[in-house]
Amino acid sequence: MADWQERITRDTKPSIRVEHDLRYAAAAPFVAGAATWCDLGCGTGVAAADALGDTPLARVVLVDADADALDQAGRDLQARDVVRVQADLATEEGVAAVRAALGDGEPGTITCFEVIEHLTTFVPLVGALVELGEQGWTVVLSVPNDAFWALENPYHETMWGEGAFDELRRLLPADAVVARQVPLDGSHLVVEGRDGPLELPPVTPRPDAVPSHFIAAFGPRAGELASRALAIPSDLDGRRTWERQRESTLAVLEAELAELRAYVKWSSEEFARLNAPAELREQTPETVARREP
Amino acid sequence: MNVAFLVNDLQLSGGVGVVVEHARQLPRHGIEAALVLAREREDPDWRFRGLGEVEVLSLAQARERRFDVALATWWATTEPLFELPARRRAYFVQSLEDRFYRPDDPQRLGAALTHDLPVDVVTEARWIAETLEELRPDLRALLVRNGVAKDVFTPPAELDVRLHGPLRIVIEGNPHVWFKGVPEALAAVREMREPRHVTLVTGARDVDTTGADEVVGPLTHEEMAALYARSDVVLKLSRVEGMFGPPLEGFHLGATCVVTAVTGHEEYVEHGVNGLVVDWDDPRGTSRALDLLARDRALLHHLRCGALATARAWPSWEQAGTVMAAALREIARRPEPAAAPGAARAIADVRAAVEAQALVVAERDRLRYRVKPLERLDRVVERAPLRWLLAPLRRVWRRVRPT
Repeated sequence: MADWQERITRDTKPSIRVEHDLRYAAAAPFVAGAATWCDLGCGTGVAAADALGDTPLARVVLVDADADALDQAGRDLQARDVVRVQADLATEEGVAAVRAALGDGEPGTITCFEVIEHLTTFVPLVGALVELGEQGWTVVLSVPNDAFWALENPYHETMWGEGAFDELRRLLPADAVVARQVPLDGSHLVVEGRDGPLELPPVTPRPDAVPSHFIAAFGPRAGELASRALAIPSDLDGRRTWERQRESTLAVLEAELAELRAYVKWSSEEFARLNAPAELREQTPETVARREP
Repeated sequence: MNVAFLVNDLQLSGGVGVVVEHARQLPRHGIEAALVLAREREDPDWRFRGLGEVEVLSLAQARERRFDVALATWWATTEPLFELPARRRAYFVQSLEDRFYRPDDPQRLGAALTHDLPVDVVTEARWIAETLEELRPDLRALLVRNGVAKDVFTPPAELDVRLHGPLRIVIEGNPHVWFKGVPEALAAVREMREPRHVTLVTGARDVDTTGADEVVGPLTHEEMAALYARSDVVLKLSRVEGMFGPPLEGFHLGATCVVTAVTGHEEYVEHGVNGLVVDWDDPRGTSRALDLLARDRALLHHLRCGALATARAWPSWEQAGTVMAAALREIARRPEPAAAPGAARAIADVRAAVEAQALVVAERDRLRYRVKPLERLDRVVERAPLRWLLAPLRRVWRRVRPT
């Protein structure tokens, strides 16, 4: 069964967390030295905090549609100034609010990870990002490769894959740097008593590896986007807890759904009975038996 | 923002249908779109989905307006493109249309020359974008893939397993259009050994349909969807395609495909994953592929499942409309392409055409010289006083003489 984890939290399973962490880690060099860093669709800011928690930052503009998530975001950042903007990036007004928050000062860096697919229209946002790139901002964005698995994610307004990314890429500046984020598998054999930090051996990527995400960077510092990988320890215990929790929650919801269906069925029948003529409404097995010769 | 799409007419064609769909999606993104007819209406319009929602203007009416972006959508509409008052002009390239004409057809050159025009390009297939960028190194083509009407071609939640019955095959296209490969498809099904039921969808009636069990059409989208839903395979042996829509629509209803490696197929057809790709000019191999699907129902179901998965990942018209809106805004934003490289390319192409024409004329003169004795003999044989005397010889001569 598909696992829809659209909001990254501390409880998100590690394989998804590491993907987000890596994107922020890749953007960290641009973010660290930027006069302003704007994180579009920041959510609760967990992945950003993991990658940038110890980095001194100047001005940070955090943008999300969800007020609760926005409230949590940025708490773990070492920023001089944090501005929070609640905005719907599918609208011209939302995008205008972000531009207003960015101000006319020195351009910095904009990250826009896993946002575009959630928007009912990305026309205002993509147009604004291209313009900001021309004004000296460095933009790093990502979209998922849902099309490979034909995943119909109920939270995604648009379906993304190689073809859709090529459409997007042609809207971006010609010199945009493009990267494919490719999943890695791993395992760790730990000799008893020797469980310190781990040096990973070199991994040769498969040339035909299917990406899980597509990334594009443009703007003055886009060329600094570097190939990199990230490994974090798996949390089987946490994953088991999470999956069992999900299964039990699902079972409860299915039971509630069955109850609701039964109630709707009973209500419909009762409604039909109440609307029926009086002689039928009062009919019982006894009255039917009495009427029959 | 307002845009004009120039169309030749509103007759049934995949290309016009695509333009109508885009035009009806754009208002959702704050863009007014009108269809401009490049020539007078001669026949009643085809009942395109949503055509009533789109403003249709004559060329004369459009000349009175002012557009932010005007787009040609067919090579012959590039001429009126420059008659429209528009801030920016672009070309929505749905195929390399010179390939619609045979090598000796002068329209082939006319269509090819339009790709030299110094205008921005929006196209619906990656192969077109890449080809045009090779021809015009200064070009950065915008890509907007065609959507699929998911409310009409609605994928089923699950596919039924079809273990029995004849293989149900759909062949779609106009048999009079040489590059659609309809006669070749009929030839392939005629050579099949396994039980099959073949439906030919075409508006043409004066054609040899031997091999088809039923001939239907033209059909609406809803009727096509119903036909795909009860079919197993879309057989399409085209030689020229742009985005190659019909098999993809079939995919949405769980029909796999047997196709040639025509341009556009590479965007979504994967041999052995969601369909079968057969060789060119190979009716026997094609019929064996169809026989295999008729016999091996596990393979048929595997390919149908693959087709359905591909369909689920394909964008809707709503998503395609979003990309088109972004592309049009980008065209309006970008600086206008420089005219000089386009003019240089056009002159080079005209020169190449002149040289090609000179070769044709030289070849014609050479043949004329060689045919002269035969023409002289022809005149002698046809001379009145000798007609009755040479009647038997004339009959033989007519049979063997070059035409």
